This record gives sequence, structure tokens and C-alpha cells, in this order.
Amino acid sequence: MKKRVTLTFPKHAVQMPIAYRLAKDFNVAANIIRAQVAPNQVGKVVVELLGDIDEIEAATEWLESKDIDVSSASREITINEESCVHCGLCTGVCPTQALTLQPETFKLQFTRSRCVVCEQCIPTCPVDAISTNL
Amino acid sequence: MRSIAEINDKLQRGQGTVLTLREVKARIREVGIPQTAQEVDAIATGTFEPMESSGATLNLGHTDPPIKLRRCWLDGVPAYAGGGAVDLYLGAGQMAERDDTDSPAEDTQERGGGHVIEDLIAGRPVHLRATGQGTDCYPRTTFETTITKESINQFYLFNPRNLYQNFIVGINGGDRPLYTYLGPLQPNFGNAVYASGGALSPLLNDPHLRLIGIGSRILLGGSVGYVAWEGTQHFPLQRRLPNGTPVGPAATVALIGDAKQMDPRWVRGCYFRNYGPSLMLGVGVPLPVLDEAVIEACAVADEDIVAPVMDFSIPRRVRPVFCLVTYAQLKSGRIEVDGRPVRTAPLTSLYLSEQVALDLKQRLLAGQFALSEPVAPLPSDRAFIPQDSWSGQVSLDT
Repeated sequence: MKKRVTLTFPKHAVQMPIAYRLAKDFNVAANIIRAQVAPNQVGKVVVELLGDIDEIEAATEWLESKDIDVSSASREITINEESCVHCGLCTGVCPTQALTLQPETFKLQFTRSRCVVCEQCIPTCPVDAISTNL
Repeated sequence: MRSIAEINDKLQRGQGTVLTLREVKARIREVGIPQTAQEVDAIATGTFEPMESSGATLNLGHTDPPIKLRRCWLDGVPAYAGGGAVDLYLGAGQMAERDDTDSPAEDTQERGGGHVIEDLIAGRPVHLRATGQGTDCYPRTTFETTITKESINQFYLFNPRNLYQNFIVGINGGDRPLYTYLGPLQPNFGNAVYASGGALSPLLNDPHLRLIGIGSRILLGGSVGYVAWEGTQHFPLQRRLPNGTPVGPAATVALIGDAKQMDPRWVRGCYFRNYGPSLMLGVGVPLPVLDEAVIEACAVADEDIVAPVMDFSIPRRVRPVFCLVTYAQLKSGRIEVDGRPVRTAPLTSLYLSEQVALDLKQRLLAGQFALSEPVAPLPSDRAFIPQDSWSGQVSLDT
């Protein structure tokens, strides 16, 4: 299974090689979507965990035992269909092509699985149609 | 081939053939220009894009005792009150002033004249605060109320510059993000923004303004409007390709229309971060198929129209032009500038532009929208005069 979670590291856990431990000890592939980690600061990593359901559960328990907060309520981009005018300005700042224009109709389409929640589209939107759900 | 009167007559009888610009281009590819000209009576074109040089004229009606408004704010946005006693002009690009409302500073900053115009058209109430001069005939000096479009006399858009015939492409060759009227431009050629529908843009399909002139009836904000005059910065003398299309910003028109009849779907306040508010507007322009030359001009494709790529990191009037790119390249999502690939994004809503054209097509087919003859042509010889008051370039010979 695949599960997207947000990990919040306390200062003392920032040094831990998390992706390595998840892979070696739990056979869980950790695809880092977005990370903000610096020495001596609280770190935040949005990560997609790929593995067996039991292994992901065990990995989650282990992370929590290390004081790492595991939240499955990850931030997501939402687009208000009512206010969107399909101008496409957001497609130029989206680094992962999650926001694109359909080649024929030029209607805006959002591919959630490609979104890394960088949020650059939010202030770019001229009609305030993009927001995060958190 | 046909006169405007004949086309109107056919449309009235429900026998006219109307296609949108997109449909006409497809038809031309299928059966060629002569047959398309035989088949089609009128073409519905449309655009939906930010048009900052727009605004509304409002007449409040007289208060008792009367007031001669000299300063006025609508939802905190200053409106010009230097004309008749209770006449106002609200510019789409006017920013709200912070001290007038209780809302947080950031919210206030992101609202402007365009949003107030949208609110009024949508029937929402708008707060008005004003001060007057105090004269013998207008003794009152302050006034505060809430208005709606129903509680005022005239409320019409009068837009000094709309429907740009082609535009530029913005890019940022510098090392910091820039916030522009084309939206954010990321450093080191991070993205490029274009702001014209290209081959689907109304005036690019009538390059020499044969069909559109002063008095032409158009669809403005979902209601009937008219071409009032040449637009500001109207520059028909822009360099042109052999197919007649200009290689950069060229003709513009001033538009007028009754805002009370407009649909908020086609009149949208918008805001460009760290630049300011504006107004996104839907405009539909019908083109009568008078002869084959009309269809010939409408055969122009995105491959045949170019726009200049300009570097916004040089904040001068004349910005360096990297290259000319075609709208086919721009719409593909990627152009090449200085040998490197750059993502492109439009600012014109190509999707809603087509919806405007479809709306106009339906009205034409239903006989609800008659084409009009222009009462005067738009000038074809306007130069583009720069403002160089201090440089002594004025020639005394002429």
C-alpha cells in the first residue's frame, strides 16, 4: 500500500537517517515529497510510504517511539471550481506539472498525485481560487 | 457577398449560420476559404482576460440636503469624484485604502476597484463613504450609506483600453522573483507568461480593423456593449507580418456597456500579488462575413502569429527583447529562450474565451443580438508617443 504522511521531528531526532532505517528495518520505501530539515530545528517531512500494510504500521509505531509525530492528515491543495477562471497562470509556477491545461479545451486540470504541496500556486492565483485544506 | 443588413435579416428569421472562431478555423481546414465564406454568415469571437484599463461610471442620485462629492470610497476603494456632484468613476486597478475598513491589512490590500465592480454587478451591497465641498447649492459635507446597483442611477463600464491586438510575453532574466501585471515571473527564466489568445483573439482576426469600428455592437461582461472610441495606446502602426498581424501590442479599443445588465460570471475582480488589483472581463466580438477576405483573415493560425519575449528584470520602458515566438509554441507549454527551455503559461483564459464566443453564437442564432455597422472607422495611423518631457526631443520645426 501507499500512504502519504507528514513527519514532524523534534530537534534531537533530526540527525536520524530515517529513510535508511525505514528501508532496512521495515522494507518500506520512503519517497520524500517535501522536506524542511535543518540542524537543531524542528523538522518537517512529507513522505509517501510504500510497503506492506503491516510493515507500514510497524514503521509508524517505531517512528512514534522515537518522538516523531506521524500525521496522516497531510496538507492538500484544493481548487475552488466555482471561482477558478482557467486562466492557467498557476501552471507556469507548478514545478511538478500537477497543474496543467487540457491541450484541447485549455481547461485547468489538477493531478493530485503529482502535487508536492509547494503552495506556489496559492499566491499566484489572481482570483484566490486555490487554497490548502489545513 | 453579404451586407450586415442581410446577415441581420437572416439571423432574425432563424436562418443564419454562425460559427465560433475556433469552429470557423476547423471548417476552413476542412473545406477551404471560398466554401466557408459561402456557408457562414457571422463569426462569434470571444476573449476572457485581465483588462486593467477598465472602470465604472456611477451616478448616485442626489441626497437631501444635497452634496457635491469630492472624495469618495466604495468599500474602502477610492473613486474619482471630480466631475458632476454625484458622479463617480471607479477604476478597476484602484487599490483599497487600509484606514477605511476594519478588515486585516492583507485582505484590504488584495481588494480593489475590480472587486467592487464585480460585487455591484453580482447585486451585493457596497459601503460608500464620501466627503463634499460644501457650497450654497450643495451644503452637505459628509455622507455615508450602502449602495447596490438597484439603488443608484447609471452604472456602466467605460473601459479606456480593452481587447489588445496581440501583446508581449513576460520573462525574468534576473536573479530574484518579480511580481508583475503578468503575475509572478520566476528568476533565471523560470517561467514565461503570455496574455493573448493568439489566433483566437478577436482583433487578430481583423488585423486592419475592417469590420470593427466606433459603434460596433459587442458583448461586454455578458451584456450588450459598444466600441466607443479607439483605446488608449492604440498603435495600429506596429510592425506587422505579411499576414497583417502585428508583432507586438497594436490596436486597442475603448468599450462601453451597461453594468446593471452584466453577468458577474464574465466580470471578475482579480489581484496580482505585489502588483495590484485588476478586472478580468469577457468580451465577445461578432465578425460579419461580408466577403471572402473576412474568412481569409480568420484562417490565421497560432503558427502564423508571433509575440516578443521581454525581460522584465530591466525595469525600463524599452525592455530587451530576447526573441519572437509563435502562439503555437506558447500554447505548447514550452518555448526556447537563449537556448534553454522555459515553461509558458497563459493569462488569458482560453477556456472561458471559447465560452464567451459560444454565448455570443447562441445569442446571434436566437436573433437576440444584431450586428451593427460601425459609424466611423478606428484610426489607422496613430503613433506611439513616449513621455520624454525632460529630454528636449521636441522638434520646433513642425
